[in-house]
Amino acid sequence: MFRLKKITLTMLSLLMLLLAIHPGYGMASAESASGADGQKTITVGLSADFAPYEFRITVDGKSKIVGSDVMIAQQIAADMGAQLKIEDIAFDSLIPALQSGRIDMIISGMTPTDERRQNVDFSDLYYTSRQVILTRAEDADKYKTMADLDGETIGVQSGSIQEEIAKGIPNAQVTSVKSISDVVSQLTSGRVNAAVFEGPVAEAQVKNRKGLAIADAVPEDSDTPMAIAVAKGNTALVAEINKTLARLNAEKAVDGYIQQANEMNSGEVAPSNIFQFFWKYRGYYADGVKYTLLLSALGVLFGFLIGLLIALLRLSGVKVLKWLAVAYTEVLRGTPMLVQLLIIHYGIATAFDIKFTVLQSGIITLSINSSAYLAEIFRAGIQGVDKGQMEAARSLGMPRGMAMRTIVIPQAIKSVLPAIGNEFVVIIKESSIVSFIGVADLMFQANAVRTLTYSGLYPLVIAAGIYLIMTLILSKLLNVFERRLSAGDNR
Amino acid sequence: MITVKNLQKSFGKNQVLRGIDAEIQQGEVVVVIGPSGSGKSTFLRCLNRLEDVTGGEILFEGQPITDKKHNIDKTREKMGMVFQQFNLFPHKTVLENITLAPIKLQGVSKAEADKRAEMLLQSVGLADKKKAYPAQLSGGQKQRIAIVRALAMQPHVMLFDEPTSALDPEMVGEVLDVMKKLAEDGMTMVIVTHEMGFAREVGDRIIFMDGGVIVEEGTPDEVFGAPKHARTQDFLGKVL
Repeated sequence: MFRLKKITLTMLSLLMLLLAIHPGYGMASAESASGADGQKTITVGLSADFAPYEFRITVDGKSKIVGSDVMIAQQIAADMGAQLKIEDIAFDSLIPALQSGRIDMIISGMTPTDERRQNVDFSDLYYTSRQVILTRAEDADKYKTMADLDGETIGVQSGSIQEEIAKGIPNAQVTSVKSISDVVSQLTSGRVNAAVFEGPVAEAQVKNRKGLAIADAVPEDSDTPMAIAVAKGNTALVAEINKTLARLNAEKAVDGYIQQANEMNSGEVAPSNIFQFFWKYRGYYADGVKYTLLLSALGVLFGFLIGLLIALLRLSGVKVLKWLAVAYTEVLRGTPMLVQLLIIHYGIATAFDIKFTVLQSGIITLSINSSAYLAEIFRAGIQGVDKGQMEAARSLGMPRGMAMRTIVIPQAIKSVLPAIGNEFVVIIKESSIVSFIGVADLMFQANAVRTLTYSGLYPLVIAAGIYLIMTLILSKLLNVFERRLSAGDNR
Repeated sequence: MITVKNLQKSFGKNQVLRGIDAEIQQGEVVVVIGPSGSGKSTFLRCLNRLEDVTGGEILFEGQPITDKKHNIDKTREKMGMVFQQFNLFPHKTVLENITLAPIKLQGVSKAEADKRAEMLLQSVGLADKKKAYPAQLSGGQKQRIAIVRALAMQPHVMLFDEPTSALDPEMVGEVLDVMKKLAEDGMTMVIVTHEMGFAREVGDRIIFMDGGVIVEEGTPDEVFGAPKHARTQDFLGKVL
């Protein structure tokens, strides 16, 4: 018998658990507040793939975010007497995260451009870096001046200051991608011939990865100052930050931090055999799989239940409910999941001051998105059950709800099980999208390993392998379940 | 036991029942016959409100079951129904099919429900099929199980909607035998059927319907032996 009641109970208890979870749970935080209660915490957002300013290293098998910006953050926190909490967020999502109040400041090598100043306030400058052109070693001589880059294919990180520089190069075909490691992959795979980089970042890449070189060409007026961003109008915080920065300036500390960070950044030699590679970084993948499984399991569970509810509303015969269900399904099926994710995570926080943790946002998005697809599957299944089944159940005296639950829905689910299984597999794969807002899932960890090892292929191949194993196991389980449910079909 | 007053039923603009008055007594076996499209199945389905009525009134054991406020689910527990297409629950075993409603609706213990079901299965000669699934049974066996399923609720009346029409000819007999035995035990029955021989043998009263009205009714001998109405004569002339 299909125990819907039991499932509902399980769902409720899981929901409780989820709400009880610490707000920072699932966040890709390397250093989280662990101090005494009542102590102030400041949350710093950064995009940890920007060595030597901020990047990940492996310490005792654990991933840790380090870099010169992290050291500055530690100084600011110390001066404020606050606990430091760091959140790793994609660079182009940093400002939304600040605006929605998820983080207190951005220290991520960010340049205070006029555009950014419209949305956030900046501290004094703490460092000025130069820009360089990174290219493949064999092409290093090709780009002696900026004029040589005319009409060239150029890679940059999206939302970065380098992107603007690249777009200023005449006739350049600019490819903007999400992370620094993606830019390097573009370069090494020949999709772009040059990339605009921060000087120290480019040096870190050249040092750690064969086949790259810095060209002689130097972007004009390319000195890019860096400052710390805070929410608009937060002058008190700016003043505190500036105090610390003034002290660091007087001590000429930042140059030293960058040098220290550069030293930390070396020595990570990735094995050249994929199995050894996997073994060395298995901790990252294990962490990622945990979140991917948690996300998928809860996404499937809530998606299943919400989907069933929507299907029942749609078939309820009440016009308003039916209309609502149709609208729900059409909106969720007709818009990209990434857009839904960003609206739920950043948009809702900004508009209504509801702050879900990254994990909650991820689960909500996966659940409602899959529920729309599952609702349609259920509707087809329910409508496919012979009308006589409902009539027979009703004629025995069963109320409509009971007849639906015990007679119609179990048969409907059985008939659409292959389609549901397919949707479950989709959820596992699509869950990778949550890495975008910083949930430390499998995809996120694969990217972390890429940044860490300067390796473009292995981390992704391993991630693909793990996704495949998960979906294959799921398909197998569903097959077993299907066979058990089809007991009544044997002749 | 059942009183039908000026019953009307329309599907959209199509009026299927045009004012039916009928009375079914305790212990009576009433057989409804008539050409297809005459409204006889709709009439039967109105009796337990599987079809909502458009006009008129039905009283069951004195209660107006067509009243909107009436809890029809409780009434249906007392009115067993057997369908042309059996409508057994394919995802449940024979025993589960039979015991589901008594356990869920009447609070009967599983042990008690199983015992009741096994006795009933015995009486229709299918005791060995209790663990089978419907897909493993023949049409005749399915229909006998469907009858048992309805009887397990200990209904006061049984409604049969063309119970043998979907059966292969060689299986009609086994189902009619079960129904005959039921009639002999004093069960109140309303049967819509095309089995004229059975109607004549088992029925206490025959109702002939055509065009959404009762054209003629009486004892089997009256209706089959000396039909008064031209339409009855015409229909019987074709089927007998």
